[in-house]
Amino acid sequence: MKVALFATCLVDQLCPQVGVSTVEVLRRLGCEIVFDERQTCCGQPAFNTGYRKEAKKFAKRFIEIFEETDAEAIVSPSGSCTAMVKHFHDLFPKEEKWRERAEKIAAKTHEFTSFLVNVLKVENLESSFAGRVTWHDACHGLRELNLRDEPRKLLKNLDGVQFVEMPNADACCGFGGTFSVKYPEISVAILDKKIEAIEKTGADVVVSCDASCLMQIGGRLSRLGSKARPMHIAEVLACQNREQ
Amino acid sequence: MTNLTSETFDQNARAALRDTQLRGALDNLVKTFGERRKEVIKTVDDWEALRNRARQIKDETLAHLDNYLEQFTGNAEKAGATIHWARDGKEVCRIVLDLIDAIDATNVVKSKSMATEEIHLNHALEAEGINPIETDLGEWIIQLANETPSHIVVPAIHKTKGQIAALFVEKTGIEKTDDVDVLTNTARKVLRSRFAEAEVGISGVNFGVAETGTILILENEGNIRLTTSLPKVHIALMGIEKVIPKFADLDVFLKLLPRSGTGQRLTTYQSLITGTKLERDDEGPDEVHIILMDNGRSRMLAHPVTRQSLACIRCGACLNACPVYQQIGGHAYGAVYPGPIGAVITPQLTGLAKTKQLPYASSLCGACREVCPVKIDIPALLLHLRAEIVDGEADGISAETRVKKKFGERAVFLMYSFLWRRSKLYNFGAKLSRFFQKGVVKDGKARSGFASLVPPLGAWTKWRDAPQVAPRTFKEIWKEDLSKRND
Amino acid sequence: MTNTASAKGEILASIRQNLAASRRFDTVYNEHHIPADRVAGSERHDEAIGLLSRFKSNLDAVAGKCQVVHNDREAAVAIQNIVDDLKPLTIAVSDSDIINDLIDRINTDATVLKNASKGELFDCDVGVTTAQWAMAETGTLVLESGRERSRLTSLLPPVHICVLDAKNIRGTMGEILQIIQNDLSRTVTFVTGPSRTSDIELTLAIGVHGPRELYVIVISDETNA
Repeated sequence: MKVALFATCLVDQLCPQVGVSTVEVLRRLGCEIVFDERQTCCGQPAFNTGYRKEAKKFAKRFIEIFEETDAEAIVSPSGSCTAMVKHFHDLFPKEEKWRERAEKIAAKTHEFTSFLVNVLKVENLESSFAGRVTWHDACHGLRELNLRDEPRKLLKNLDGVQFVEMPNADACCGFGGTFSVKYPEISVAILDKKIEAIEKTGADVVVSCDASCLMQIGGRLSRLGSKARPMHIAEVLACQNREQ
Repeated sequence: MTNLTSETFDQNARAALRDTQLRGALDNLVKTFGERRKEVIKTVDDWEALRNRARQIKDETLAHLDNYLEQFTGNAEKAGATIHWARDGKEVCRIVLDLIDAIDATNVVKSKSMATEEIHLNHALEAEGINPIETDLGEWIIQLANETPSHIVVPAIHKTKGQIAALFVEKTGIEKTDDVDVLTNTARKVLRSRFAEAEVGISGVNFGVAETGTILILENEGNIRLTTSLPKVHIALMGIEKVIPKFADLDVFLKLLPRSGTGQRLTTYQSLITGTKLERDDEGPDEVHIILMDNGRSRMLAHPVTRQSLACIRCGACLNACPVYQQIGGHAYGAVYPGPIGAVITPQLTGLAKTKQLPYASSLCGACREVCPVKIDIPALLLHLRAEIVDGEADGISAETRVKKKFGERAVFLMYSFLWRRSKLYNFGAKLSRFFQKGVVKDGKARSGFASLVPPLGAWTKWRDAPQVAPRTFKEIWKEDLSKRND
Repeated sequence: MTNTASAKGEILASIRQNLAASRRFDTVYNEHHIPADRVAGSERHDEAIGLLSRFKSNLDAVAGKCQVVHNDREAAVAIQNIVDDLKPLTIAVSDSDIINDLIDRINTDATVLKNASKGELFDCDVGVTTAQWAMAETGTLVLESGRERSRLTSLLPPVHICVLDAKNIRGTMGEILQIIQNDLSRTVTFVTGPSRTSDIELTLAIGVHGPRELYVIVISDETNA
């Protein structure tokens, strides 16, 4: 299957290995990857902070770029960015044509784990990962995209893995975009509950489908000197145990 | 008096985070209500269907709110109730005072009503020399303490048993104790003597049934039954959004509200009051007055996103599920209604100018939407209000609520928009960041001093290590390596 | 009252105006928020267990004290036992014929008030009434003001004894709402157990403003219910 990769700005600039792993896993499963280098950002920061005019511009650009591909699916290693694409239509309440175009693009956009399990129908990647891992349910992935079973299935099927469910895996990590710096004390208070839950599992690795959550969680784990470290599920599945 | 306002939300929140006793109380609240709710939901065979049905009923009602209110009025009046209409809180207070005056009453008892808190009814009465006594235990506690409620359902949740005991010792003269039963008994005794002399009883309304003109009020303690049965005059304050079409609809809401609010299948008492008593000698008040209050609610009908705010049945489940509320409690919001629902209705009821922090005090996690019995999409509402605050982009709310945004933030977003929609500039920006970052961030920590020039960086790195722009961006890796391979 | 009339006019006008303003957004919004059409969920229960058993177990679960007897004679004995236990000084009864008949059969030193005034009820130790209906799914009693003068007798004394005919137990709230709507009393009260609160540190305390003890004596002429 031909897949157009939507890498996301966060992955592109801060954790490109997530993108590399995503490509590796998809290629391993027989997908042909196309990557339009004009892509930048889905506009989520603008939309979430209330700058809808700017968010609309990003949305239009995204739609225009991705309309040009003949790939059957657009896949992204980010739950929140995928959710943003699915919400593009909210930006065009009075523009029917743009709304239709947004909906068409949204319909073929998938989050990475959802694509593997629900489209490619793969739950076992036949790879291995040695280590005690726990899963953090990123909010957008969980509540906007209904991702709950997919990542767990993929992780549990890894050879050699010790999967541990953390208490309140579905509790927010406290990132929330600009919330993390507008209200940092609250953000960190929420984060520390998540850290407590992670420590309870004794996991070496905390895995999620959103680089932003991993940045929030990872930033605190390293500040606290924890042995646990964050990894994106694409990296785990590609078995990229690269140190940052 | 907890004099906190929404304007100082950030300071309020910081103070709350330092309050270890409050955080202990909140942990207890979250754990207890979370577990009870989870368990009690299992006693319904299709919880989702119930929520959908409730939302359908609310949507239908709101789409024809004028008709249902007129139907309700007609039927309630037919049964002998007197219906009053009030545009705002001041009018409500005026009506209540007039009714109290009309019978020269001085002894007024009150049961729990968030609507009366919303309009500061007690202050208005006290200013005229009337001292209404709150009879719900939690409300009486905060009345004694001269505080405001910190939760929609359990108003005194921020207080420890010890603090409440000390309060009772001071105000009622009992001996020091930490026995909850003794404390509860004290409340019973003191309030009972007020009930015996009560001339006017003021209550809220949970649901008003258009089909029959019935008001339903639910509780666990029995004080609502007393407030609405003993005095000569019963005054019920009802927000206009509380009306529902049919008597049978009560079943849906009675299954949802107790479960969502307190994790019970049903609260101890429901009073279904239709008009006044038939005969003079019958039990109950001689007069039943229902005040239909707008106070900013009709404005919320102007847009489908804001209209759902009016579906709220005041269960408080969103508070219990909210990671922000869980950390800071209710007082920090500086508003009558705290938590997720408070963050969206407070700006709509009182205007965005003084409440513009509230819509931003959320990580948009959506836990509230998940537990809301009537499926209010609070994150969508928050985003709608944020757009309002930025430049009135979200349609439906009048220009007067538009608030000027900080120049700095707007500049940043305009810059981000300009640069990042041009891939060459975006790519160049990445290279620049890579170049400058060592001067700003080292070992994940912001180099102090410099970081304070970039506030978000300072705010991040005070507690968290910061990520670095990678030595090669994904685009560079793709161009140089990945695109050349295809396996 | 002219003020309320103009307020009414303005509020209704405001509602209509705002609903009209919303119309241009409604179609698009509704496209993405399709209301569901499933039949609303009902309380789970084991079909094999009958109404009476369900009523009893649900009432017991909320600290109600439920006894099942087979006839009037046994009901009187049950009341006698409760009275002997509690040793009340004053017992108030509602105007129900059944209750008045039962209370005449018991031996007690307590003063029995048959038409207690509001003031008298404040000092009564026990209040005895019937219930017109009950809901099995929650253990709830239904008191209709049009059928019995029980509003304050069931509320003011700290102990409430309620006699219920098992024939009047229905399964669900839905059924009860339908029944009572037929001839809707001015006040209908649903009672599920004794009064309670969790306002102090979420610790459950039984017995606040309403009765702290609720005894329900169910008269059922079935041997197996």
